Amino acid sequence: MRWITLLGRTGTVLLMVGLALIVVWAPPASSPHQSSSSGSMPAEQYKIVHSGVYRSQTGFEISVESSESVRVYLLGLSSLELEDWRTQVRAAYPDLDDMWIKLFTVPLIFVREAYPDLDDPQIEDVTDIVWNVSILDKGLQTHPEIVVWQSPPTRTLSYEFFPADVLAVTVVVANPSSSNATVRTKIRHLAALAPRDRAILPALLLISIGIALAVPWLILRKVKKRTL
Amino acid sequence: MGKGRPFLEVFTCALNEDYWFPILELLVLLCALWTFFSAGIAGVSASYSDFITVEAFTHNLVFSFTWPLIVMVGIPIVKNIAYGLGSDLEKGIIQTLFSYPLTRGYILTARLLSALVIPLLLFLGISIFGLFLFFPDVIAANPGTVALTYAAQLSPVLLTAGLLLLLALRLRRGVPTVLTGLTLCFILFVIFDSIADSIAWGTGSDWILKIYAVITPNLALQEYYLGTLGVSSRNWVPNFSEVLLYVSAGYSLVAVIFTIGYVYFKRWLRI
Repeated sequence: MRWITLLGRTGTVLLMVGLALIVVWAPPASSPHQSSSSGSMPAEQYKIVHSGVYRSQTGFEISVESSESVRVYLLGLSSLELEDWRTQVRAAYPDLDDMWIKLFTVPLIFVREAYPDLDDPQIEDVTDIVWNVSILDKGLQTHPEIVVWQSPPTRTLSYEFFPADVLAVTVVVANPSSSNATVRTKIRHLAALAPRDRAILPALLLISIGIALAVPWLILRKVKKRTL
Repeated sequence: MGKGRPFLEVFTCALNEDYWFPILELLVLLCALWTFFSAGIAGVSASYSDFITVEAFTHNLVFSFTWPLIVMVGIPIVKNIAYGLGSDLEKGIIQTLFSYPLTRGYILTARLLSALVIPLLLFLGISIFGLFLFFPDVIAANPGTVALTYAAQLSPVLLTAGLLLLLALRLRRGVPTVLTGLTLCFILFVIFDSIADSIAWGTGSDWILKIYAVITPNLALQEYYLGTLGVSSRNWVPNFSEVLLYVSAGYSLVAVIFTIGYVYFKRWLRI
């Protein structure tokens, strides 16, 4: 009886912790702000539509509408990897404005790898090369590990993203078709109180173990009360 | 029959008396909700950029959402030790427990296990679980800072518990022990804090802060990290070895007080 009481109280405690976690996890992610952009995208070109650092509790929802089929990529780098890539770009193009390097680290790395002989003065004049889909494809073949998610060719899509850990995310839209596309993108920033994928499993485990431990004690308690 | 069964009997009795169903469960729910909500908000808004070192960030993170939890678990500790033990002595329940085939030391241990260790286990369990769930990378990277912050924060709680134990044993009544205990806590942690700050600020000397840091080692730890950020408002910035010294001194004081409590309970308590 003593052990059943002890285990039962342990169970009710675990149950409460699990329920508290569910209460924090359950509310849908709120949206503090959003941004949208619209414009023409040349054939066989790609562009960066958004970039930012996200944690397990911060994410975004991207919506895309396009007149042609486009592909959307979410490219993710850890802070250390991103800094390493920026150092490489700075070393390759020492005269390039630092703002350019910070904004376009990923495309600049892809260009450097595709055209190792391209130097500083040329880089700002060769945007056709920098933003060419073939450069993106080649870069992604070399670094497939940075592709966090990619869409199939589509005209409309909506996708919600929360990273598992801290991640610098770059959102790329590519127009592989041979005609210009009008692309409208909307980024809705999301914030969740509990990490979306990390919280649910422990919560369910705690609730299950809690119920399993508490039920015998609660039944025994009720029987005891009735007999008294 | 060994000592395990009577010990468990005394411990379960104390547990049932200290935490009526569902008081313990409500307390746990409140603590867990607070931990997860505050950790969630910190997870969305916290940024390393405000802090020069990751250690300072980790300390601030752990401190900022564990101190309200300490207040929450402090309530049952005060109630169980000051009122619970004091009332048990007043009503003769402790005398009944002496009829069990257990030494007085074991009886006091079972009582303290329920009154003090259970709330502390809840505090540690919920807050560490919350930290690992919401900030696994920060915690895994700085386990030493996390452990030191917890140690520094728990020292005054244990000191309070020890003083309440001595008061309960001396006064042997519930309500007077609670009133005297709360007054003592107010003097130690509110009035002494203000006096120490005023004297240190007025005289420019740090000796009073050093004395106060033995009672609340978190002061030394906080000043150490604020010092690394260059934003300390006090005129005392201890180094890391000093912080360890104050934490050790705090726990030595706690150990002395509990030893006195045990010796008093075993040898001098006449009932």
